[in-house]
Amino acid sequence: MPDVAHLRLSHVIKRFGGVAAVDDVSFEVPKGSFATLLGPSGCGKTTTLRMIAGFYDPDEGDIIVSGRRINDLPAHRRGTAMVFQDYALFPHMSVRDNVGYGLGVQGIRGAERAKRVDETLVFVGLKGMGDRMPSQLSGGQQQRVAVARALIVRPEILLLDEPLSNLDAKLREQLRSEMRDLQRRLGMTFIYVTHDQVEALSLSDWIAVMNNGKVEQAGDPWQIYYRPRTTFIADFIGAVNLVPASVAEVRGETAVVSFGEHRLTVRTPEGIAVTSGASVHLCVRPEALGLLPPDAVAEGLVVKGTVARRAFLGDLMRYWVSVDGREWIVDQADPGAASPLEGTVGIAVRPERVHLIAEA
Amino acid sequence: MRSLRREPALLVGLLAVAGLVLAFIVYPQVQVVLTPGGGGYVDFFEHGNWQRPLQNSLILTALSTTTAVALGFVYAYAMVYSDMPWKPFFRLVGILPLLSPPFVVAAAYILLFGPRGIVTYGVFGQSPNILGLYGIWGVQTIAFFPFAYQLIADVLSRSDARMEQAARNLGAGAWDVFRSVTLPLTRPGLGAAILTTAIYVLEDFGNPALIGGVFTVLPTQAYGLISGFGDISGASAVSSILLALALGLYVAKIRLDGGRSYVTVSGRASSMPRPPVPRLVTIFSFVACLSLAGLIFLVYGTLIASAVTAHFPTNLTPTSEYFEYLGAHSLSLQNTLVYGLSAASVSALLAVFAGFLVQRGSWRGRRALDFLLIMPAAIPGLFFGLGYVVSFNKPWLDWLDRGVLIIIALTFWNIPVGYQATVAGLRQIDRSIDEAATSLGASSLRGFRDVIVPMLGGSLRVGFVTTFVRAVTTLSLLIFLFTPQTTVATITIFQLVNDFNWGGAAAFTVIDVTMAIIVLVTLAFIGGRRGLALGAARA
Repeated sequence: MPDVAHLRLSHVIKRFGGVAAVDDVSFEVPKGSFATLLGPSGCGKTTTLRMIAGFYDPDEGDIIVSGRRINDLPAHRRGTAMVFQDYALFPHMSVRDNVGYGLGVQGIRGAERAKRVDETLVFVGLKGMGDRMPSQLSGGQQQRVAVARALIVRPEILLLDEPLSNLDAKLREQLRSEMRDLQRRLGMTFIYVTHDQVEALSLSDWIAVMNNGKVEQAGDPWQIYYRPRTTFIADFIGAVNLVPASVAEVRGETAVVSFGEHRLTVRTPEGIAVTSGASVHLCVRPEALGLLPPDAVAEGLVVKGTVARRAFLGDLMRYWVSVDGREWIVDQADPGAASPLEGTVGIAVRPERVHLIAEA
Repeated sequence: MRSLRREPALLVGLLAVAGLVLAFIVYPQVQVVLTPGGGGYVDFFEHGNWQRPLQNSLILTALSTTTAVALGFVYAYAMVYSDMPWKPFFRLVGILPLLSPPFVVAAAYILLFGPRGIVTYGVFGQSPNILGLYGIWGVQTIAFFPFAYQLIADVLSRSDARMEQAARNLGAGAWDVFRSVTLPLTRPGLGAAILTTAIYVLEDFGNPALIGGVFTVLPTQAYGLISGFGDISGASAVSSILLALALGLYVAKIRLDGGRSYVTVSGRASSMPRPPVPRLVTIFSFVACLSLAGLIFLVYGTLIASAVTAHFPTNLTPTSEYFEYLGAHSLSLQNTLVYGLSAASVSALLAVFAGFLVQRGSWRGRRALDFLLIMPAAIPGLFFGLGYVVSFNKPWLDWLDRGVLIIIALTFWNIPVGYQATVAGLRQIDRSIDEAATSLGASSLRGFRDVIVPMLGGSLRVGFVTTFVRAVTTLSLLIFLFTPQTTVATITIFQLVNDFNWGGAAAFTVIDVTMAIIVLVTLAFIGGRRGLALGAARA
């Protein structure tokens, strides 16, 4: 990135009763990007967000916004408006007063305030709802009010703490794309916390996957999905086949690995040294595999197995195929196009779709 | 704590609250306990008259608490469990005694059974000596069973109707359910209700003072030592014994219920109906409540009748003569209203702010402040008032209006209920609400004002109503504090009774209670119809 990072965390540690909830976390988020902290519950993502907001004080490390250390700035002076998981709308105020609250605090009143509130309500698709009370709104509308209330103060950085998790699946999907659209239009830096990997992949420019208080890997969604650095990440993000293997030989950027009776030449992961004889995992997504009738031939490697069970998921058919006592997951797209396979099958493995995780 | 350092205004607010608590809750109490001094205590325990009053207090508290709780339980059970008719009527009748000084029961008792009493003299032509243990016992039973009823009804109505339905569904009868499900689940709450009632009885000053005669209890002994002998040291020692007993009961109560000290009189709507009780129980409930309501009506009916007739019952000529006392004592009524409203406003607001500081804060020492803010609930009014006399009746404070001192005493003596209602209310408000205001640029105090206070309307009301009601009904707190210029209605009533001016006392009581009702009804209208939230008012 050419300019200074908009938000930078440097060796941030937060302990609760001796346990490090956030353990030496460092990352940088460029201006105008949609950045997501992703991880299971208890991984420290919300704690990290709350430290940025100023609701927790880090025990160690620096939090820097636009080159300025904000550790000692009180929460209400940080310009980091937050959208809460439960929305935290003020129940005794109308939608208009909720949205206008931050302006009132800034001393903006009267016509100017009314104008900006109306604009913002239109912006989030709540035109004409200003006089309703929060209790009269649906979950999705409340969520929009929460977003509008935070956006209107033109925050330096917008923080969002699982803002979609209380909504039903269909609405979640719709608001997801609205959220992304909103962020693009505003060019504002969003820090988004979620445990939903699909949400993270579909929304983000950048994802930091957290586990046990640490950032296990940070990068764009593509890297996180296809080039996970650890088995935890591979497993946390979507369905995956993790096949234990050993490195037979390293040849520059590629390595020859063996599992069972099979040998495969794959690319070595970037920035990680792989040595000959090391135990590793092969990581391959179910949709990257092909399923063949037993006698069919294919390019690359074909692993023989037996169909243990299968599940029809509508857009795809998921097979669990037993290979040498392990189950492989194989997804077949457009299941209506062919009749389901049974008994002995071949799994087509294309080496370029296999990612090596240098972790036993 | 870093958040306090970053927000100096919050720190100033906290220091102010802590300073007020130290000055007006801690300091006066310490002063009372220290007044006799080491030698004074030795002398007092060797020569002072304390064993008899202590013994009397213990006996009376045990007897009156038992009977008041028994009657209160019957009333509460009938209200919560039976489907008897007239429930709204019984609920109203149950609230009425909370709005008047408990010692009006003693006044009615004298009017009915005294030497010139309606029953004794009017019907039987006798003038028996009615002073002593049995009279007080009966009077306290009637005076405090409505308090016990409020406390017990609150406990019972909080027991989960779903469990009772489940037990019935599994084949248990009404009595089985009550014995095997309701009682075990509500036992801590019931225990706490009993102990709270015991504190009320123990602290009661007005009833023993009016009809105790030679049966002296600790509060009347302390009063006698000061009014008769000017013996502040002895009174302080007696009061300290009283305080120790009350604190003991209070600590036991907190162990049982975790410190919940207010009840809601509004009669919450249960989401699920309770299983029906047998018809016989309903009939019994109705008869019992009718009898108890009859007793309450007897008390107030006697008072009203005495107030509006020349000499009830021997001379039934209607008269407004007694209400003319109101003119002569209009100052005391006016003071009652001014002090009550001022103390209620200040106390409610201070309680909400203190509750916010303690519940939302993370600074060190908040547990200590929490304890100090709850403590006045355990302090007998007599002791609290004495503390103010000992501490602030000083020449260098002569410039201070005594009325202000009374307002301060009422404010801090009554702060626990509003404070605990606030803490309970704040627990219901997710912290993300505060944080939302903060993240939008509001300082903690700004967020408190804009967001938290409006959401704590219920807690504010509990604090205001309780303080007001206790302010217009307390005698013991002010008995040492009042001056001719700062006298209040309860004091005037007490004096009129002591002067055997029954008509005047009765008229004054009627007006005092009516005034309290008008204020409360007005408040209920202003606050929308969310019902009356009443703290457990006491003597």
